[in-house]
Amino acid sequence: MWETVAQAVINGLLIGGIYALVSIGVTLIFGVVKIVNFAQGEFVMIGMYISFFLANQFGIDPLLSLFVSMPVLFVVGVLVQHFLIRRVLGPNDMPQIFLTFALSLLLLNLALMLFSANYRTVHTSYSDEALHVGGLYIPVAKLIAFVVAMALSAALWVFLHTTDLGKAMRAASQNRDVAMLMGINPNRVFCVALGIALALAGAAGSLLMPFYSAYPFVGQVFVLMAFVAVVLGTLGNVMGALIASLMMGVAESLGVQYVGADSGLIVVFAMLLLTLAFKPTGLGGGRAR
Amino acid sequence: MMAHRPSARGIVLLAVGIAILIALPQVVTSSFAIDIFIRILLFSFIGIAWNLMGGYAKQLSLGHAAYFGLGAYTSTILQIDFNISPWIGMIAGGVVAMLASLPIGWLCFRLRGPYFTIATIATAQALMLIFLKFRDLAWGAEGTTIPNLGSAPLMMQFETKAAYYYVVLGLLVVGLAVTYVIERSWMGYYLVAIGEDEDAAEAIGVNAPKIKRDIYLISSFLTALAGTFYTQYIYFIDPATAFSFNISIEAALVSIVGGIGTLWGPVIGTVLLETTSTLLQSWLGSSIGGVQLTVYSLILMAVILWRPTGLMGMISEAWHRHRKPAQA
Repeated sequence: MWETVAQAVINGLLIGGIYALVSIGVTLIFGVVKIVNFAQGEFVMIGMYISFFLANQFGIDPLLSLFVSMPVLFVVGVLVQHFLIRRVLGPNDMPQIFLTFALSLLLLNLALMLFSANYRTVHTSYSDEALHVGGLYIPVAKLIAFVVAMALSAALWVFLHTTDLGKAMRAASQNRDVAMLMGINPNRVFCVALGIALALAGAAGSLLMPFYSAYPFVGQVFVLMAFVAVVLGTLGNVMGALIASLMMGVAESLGVQYVGADSGLIVVFAMLLLTLAFKPTGLGGGRAR
Repeated sequence: MMAHRPSARGIVLLAVGIAILIALPQVVTSSFAIDIFIRILLFSFIGIAWNLMGGYAKQLSLGHAAYFGLGAYTSTILQIDFNISPWIGMIAGGVVAMLASLPIGWLCFRLRGPYFTIATIATAQALMLIFLKFRDLAWGAEGTTIPNLGSAPLMMQFETKAAYYYVVLGLLVVGLAVTYVIERSWMGYYLVAIGEDEDAAEAIGVNAPKIKRDIYLISSFLTALAGTFYTQYIYFIDPATAFSFNISIEAALVSIVGGIGTLWGPVIGTVLLETTSTLLQSWLGSSIGGVQLTVYSLILMAVILWRPTGLMGMISEAWHRHRKPAQA
């Protein structure tokens, strides 16, 4: 009995690490730039396709392709901020929501045109390996993904708390106007925020590739989780998003275990709706907006 | 902007327009063309339903498929299990959608801006999952075909496409009339005030939660009517079609591209997008997956970056430029 529960919790925590990379990106952009990036999932998809093609064409291990997908997506993030998002920053919600939403639609459908709807997989030497610890089963690929995801999250936390640029980003997220008065260049800070967030999404894509299929719609699974985690963990809060993502991974996994194979998503939606009903400001408090 | 009375010229234009629309399926008889006209009228109508809430009050929902699906399923269940005419089922579907909009609105309106949008996506997806999962409720993932009765106008089944055309044209006229009346009522002013700045609107005494609830009721009712019509037209229903995210997307897209928060915006937006999509399909022959939405998303981005007021904004600018020299 307890082993089934423990196994479900472990499975949930491992995939929750990937959700965390995506939702930290969403919450970082929301905190600093004050927009919701509807296209975050599509950047996970791009990360996956980068790793897939590097593995397929040059035989590069998906974990090594992290060093390609992260810088590439960092640059993409800077470009997206500089050429698209910068133009719609203002008091009006509509352009902000529908610009990133249009970007999401565009990337998804371009992928559909270029790569078709086929599922692409990469098989590595460790794809089928697993550790057996006291009757529990821990897939190596997922464990590596989880550990790297936590390491990246920790690195981001150190960056935000110790470097000048990181502190500037936190200042901008706490009060943009005052931060600007202190001489912080908002566009530069926003560009870096977008760059980091997209690099994290790219990392999630590369880490997923040894045990997950790439297909054009793959990002939607992850972005939905991220949105729920970001609401649950209080909008704009990096640590909250991390903890909420792990919780959601576990909740989804327990849902699959005890309600039915296709129920993971229902559990997640139920969590979102319950959160909205009883604690719309997120578990950590703060404002709903 | 809103209060002026319709001019004589406007009434003549409207009469000519209606006459053309009534004559259209008699002149253009190709069923391919009528099919496209029906799509244009249907999505104009869905866009109008969305625009009441999303356009005037700027409550940017991406979950209107929830009501489209509820309308479709209500009338189909009533028709197949209880042999009740879809004409009655259509109204019943609208009522079910209104009832559903109350708890959904109660949840979603707690959030503003982008998080309202996300909550609406989640509710529509959750409804789709419910209809997928609970097979006893409504045929599960396989869906069902609507029994074909041949010519049965009382059961909303017709032998010619032209008849379906007139049904959806009727819906569109209802949608335009509702918008026209609301636009000129106190409610219209309240909606625009909420859309401009909700806190400021509340500060001057607008009961924003009540107004938002009321407009959501109207918007979901109208959207459900479209769901019933669509199911009757294609003789098939399943959760993936009835609760398709693409319905939610297109409802918002046609309104934004055409001109958000304007009477004719959704109609003009639909004409542009559907015409583009049809031309693309005829140029490319067999459709490559993703082409239509790639083009739609490029148009949407272009509108947002360069013309946030949409095609209606461009038209009215051109109109004023044309008028000014004449007055001088």
